[in-house]
Amino acid sequence: MSKRVGIVAVAQNAGAESKDNFYDQAYRVTKEVLDKAGLTRDDVETIISASSDIYHGGISCANAYYWETTGAFMKNGSRQDGESLFALFYGAMRIMTGRYDTALVIGLCKGSENPPNDTCTLMYSDPFYLRNVGLTETMAAAFQMRAYMEKYGITEEQCAKVAVKNLGNALGNPYAHRKGRYTVEEVLQSPRISDPLTELQCAPQSEGMVAALLASEEKAKKLSRKPVWIKGFGSSIDAYDIGDRDLLDGQLKNAAARAYRMAGIKEPAKEIDLAEISEPYAFQELMWCEDLGLCRAGEAGKLIDSGKTERTGELPVNPSGGVLANNPYVSRGLQRAVEAYLQITGQAGERQVEKKVKTALAHGTHGFAGQCHAVAILGL
Amino acid sequence: MGRPVAIIGVGQTYHGKRMDVSYPELVREAVMAVFKDTGLSPEDIDGVVSGTMPSMMEGIALTHFYLADAMQSAGKPIMKTETCGSTGVSIAHTAYYWVASGLADLILAVGHEKMNEGDSQATMTTVAEPFYQRYFISGAPGVFSMQSQMWSVRYGISEEKVRDAAAFISVTHHEDAFDNPYAHIKMKVSMDDVKNARIITYPVRLLDVCPNSDGACAVIFASEEMVKKLNRKPAWVKAVGYRGDEYFFGDSDKAVWESAAQAAKEAYNQAGIKNPRKELDVAEVYNPFTFQEMLFYECFGFCGPGEAPDLVLKGTFTRNGELACDPSGGTLCTNPIGATGLIRVAEAALQVTGRAGAHQIPGAKLALAHAMGGVDQFNGIMILGSKL
Repeated sequence: MSKRVGIVAVAQNAGAESKDNFYDQAYRVTKEVLDKAGLTRDDVETIISASSDIYHGGISCANAYYWETTGAFMKNGSRQDGESLFALFYGAMRIMTGRYDTALVIGLCKGSENPPNDTCTLMYSDPFYLRNVGLTETMAAAFQMRAYMEKYGITEEQCAKVAVKNLGNALGNPYAHRKGRYTVEEVLQSPRISDPLTELQCAPQSEGMVAALLASEEKAKKLSRKPVWIKGFGSSIDAYDIGDRDLLDGQLKNAAARAYRMAGIKEPAKEIDLAEISEPYAFQELMWCEDLGLCRAGEAGKLIDSGKTERTGELPVNPSGGVLANNPYVSRGLQRAVEAYLQITGQAGERQVEKKVKTALAHGTHGFAGQCHAVAILGL
Repeated sequence: MGRPVAIIGVGQTYHGKRMDVSYPELVREAVMAVFKDTGLSPEDIDGVVSGTMPSMMEGIALTHFYLADAMQSAGKPIMKTETCGSTGVSIAHTAYYWVASGLADLILAVGHEKMNEGDSQATMTTVAEPFYQRYFISGAPGVFSMQSQMWSVRYGISEEKVRDAAAFISVTHHEDAFDNPYAHIKMKVSMDDVKNARIITYPVRLLDVCPNSDGACAVIFASEEMVKKLNRKPAWVKAVGYRGDEYFFGDSDKAVWESAAQAAKEAYNQAGIKNPRKELDVAEVYNPFTFQEMLFYECFGFCGPGEAPDLVLKGTFTRNGELACDPSGGTLCTNPIGATGLIRVAEAALQVTGRAGAHQIPGAKLALAHAMGGVDQFNGIMILGSKL
């Protein structure tokens, strides 16, 4: 690989609805990440943002709106749509060419100014066949959950345990939107949203300006005593029509295989110390753990039962509370990487895991039942 | 810097009002064309970059989902690049960086828009800031008309001369489009036709404005090893430049358009170009409005500030002129927005590889491709050359 790319600083804002406007939120996070790295706007060479027009308060060409707010005035920049981990990848690619030494990547999504998430995801449906049926991300997830439980004998209780764990973990995360001590019964008895999914098993709609400052190897060593290296990344997109897809054999395996190959990871279950996984629906954390190779197919029910993925467990998954606790739709993937960075550098505060984290995985997904996945491996 | 990258093939749809195909079918047409052009098949591709203008132009959000099969991207790594009107060039930049970084050898870039499925001006209205600006600068023509006025007043160019030069641009581009099999608008236009056309927003008249087109463009970017292995005639990426202005129209000077000038400067520095008018053989300038095209000539250093109208009228920028600008007929004759910038890149690639057919500029070796976006906010450039 041509060049190593490091993360030298991160910043994020709180996920609960804020009365601060978009510009204030975006500016503060941008300023914070620059301050942490000891840089000014002039020092940043390129800026890659992630946002989606559909999640942008009714304003099209989202990046036009916040361009200078993120420090990009008169800079070479670009923008990724839908998945903020793409922005991380693109920033890394730009540095890997040797053309840039610093790149700011930032995901921007102000959930409180958007219609309900599923009003937006309905617009992924093609207008002729699926939209009339009302197919949304939640409905697609419900199909997937049913199929998953039936195929592997995973129980609703096991799925609900993910919500119990993550919303509990979120108590230690000042940025999390939804948090609390819940029981499995409470999760299962919360209102049914789309059978078998209940409300506490579906992610909320949150605010999220999430930034990471990337630097080339030499520069990263100058800017940080403990840069976290982007060791590998990969993505994969599935076919469009939900009936054309096997919802239990999706693209995450491909995305993960690409990231693992680049990072030289052969046995993910052993080599990865911690995973921040995008689980907009509780059961998906279980499915994604399997697809990521953190356990075998169909065995994630046992995995959650064993307590191994608890914050205090051997392989903590979503010690931040994950997407169930905080869901700034477009920014959620990059937020996973930011949380992984905080854990690796020991800056995660109350949510810091007990074990030592050398290598962590960050995952993002968007689309129906995981139509698109992105995986990043970060490490020392 | 980074590994050398070249374009090894391009595919375009027959742009126009394509009610015969669905949006995915339109995209498939361009993607299949680039596979036919290169002899490659979807299995050979390492990753796909997709992009459009506001996704909501066609009423579908995050179009990389909907078009995944048409782009032959299922099972592949994907990027989704969107930067308003400059999307097409930004897609090309993404594909370039992907290969230059060493992470991929063959990247397929796809730009697409089916504008006749929606209302482009209504969509563009939603780009403007909703509280202060949307009421008076909604849509494209208003902004670009104000800009032309600002520019002609700044340099004291007479109304008559500007009008004549803009009409001349319309006449020559409409003529050029006849030689481009993929162009949308093909009509004979006289100076009088342009000057008497229906007014849109003063001074812009109907024939000064691009159409709403349905179209897609697919381009394959390759590493040097792949160029050799596949034995393709390459169009080498010599430079990439991009700059963005402030969002609020009125916060920055649009007569001396800094983002356009700086993006070009960045690209010229990389390509070692000192005198663009002499050194470039072709420029595919993003020209949805005739008046604005002249501003770009000046921002890109093809001539001094305020000089463009005289040179236009002398024929400096026609197909037989000193620097051929938009020999394809340009954006003025074909504008499927998310694809348009990539079409500029594709046309530049065809020119430097001698494959542009009836609108080939003889001996073209160095070409500039450009796209502009936002409310007069973004400018992106890619320079392609026949030699590494």
